[in-house]
Amino acid sequence: MKHIKDFMMRGLMASVGGPVILALVYRSLPAQTLRVQEVCLGILTSALMAFIAGGISVLYDLEKLPLLAATFLHAAVLFADYILIYLLNGWIKPAQILLFTGIFFGGYFAVWLLVWQIIRMRVKRINRRMQG
Amino acid sequence: MKFRLEICPDRDEEVVATVHEPNDLTEKIERLVREDAGETKLTVYSEERDMLCVLDEQDVECVFVSGGKTFVTDRDGKSYVSRLRLYALEEMLPACFIRIHKSALANQNCIDRFEVSFSGAVSVRFRSGKKEFVSRRCFAQIRRRLEKK
Repeated sequence: MKHIKDFMMRGLMASVGGPVILALVYRSLPAQTLRVQEVCLGILTSALMAFIAGGISVLYDLEKLPLLAATFLHAAVLFADYILIYLLNGWIKPAQILLFTGIFFGGYFAVWLLVWQIIRMRVKRINRRMQG
Repeated sequence: MKFRLEICPDRDEEVVATVHEPNDLTEKIERLVREDAGETKLTVYSEERDMLCVLDEQDVECVFVSGGKTFVTDRDGKSYVSRLRLYALEEMLPACFIRIHKSALANQNCIDRFEVSFSGAVSVRFRSGKKEFVSRRCFAQIRRRLEKK
């Protein structure tokens, strides 16, 4: 129950970011005409995408779930979340799925490496403190 | 730090230390007082030798729960069974015993090092060679505690 509440809270906080980023992206694009339905769909789905992306981080709080399993599950949920909403909005074409997949998992791996490096440094620091 | 000795024959004897946070000195004082009161000994059962043994808490490396039983391992890696529950042992043992996951306590003085696997999971390696995983929540608590020192 606590984790569901955490999922909702984190999701709600993150969901604000989706439409904000969307607005910035629209603003940075060359002048173009957007239909009202298109903008509405973009706002709603980007909020939903951010809600899921923010909330799903709760997976790392589930102590019963091994870290590796939590990482794979987190990556899978994020991937499904992004790709479905990108396709629904037409932000990527079906022919670009492979490229998107490569970029997504490459990016995820890079972030993971960074996190792993931070954990490694923390462990090293703790070991030094324990010996000192 | 000041030292104050109050002699009150009509009051229960106790040692009270006022400090900003626990440190090596408070640990030593605690141990000295508990030793004096005979509270540092732990009666455990050796399944291997089928006999009761008395362990000094400083010789305890790790306490963990498995299959509903509370196990105590010593510095040599020998395992014993305790009739006490983990939470009772946690209250009884000194501050050098830290929780490493929901069902285990580790004696900080018996830890050789912390290790991290490529999955990012952290484990603790004891001087006896025994390895036990550290939960993410407990690792954060251990980190905060050690960084305060």
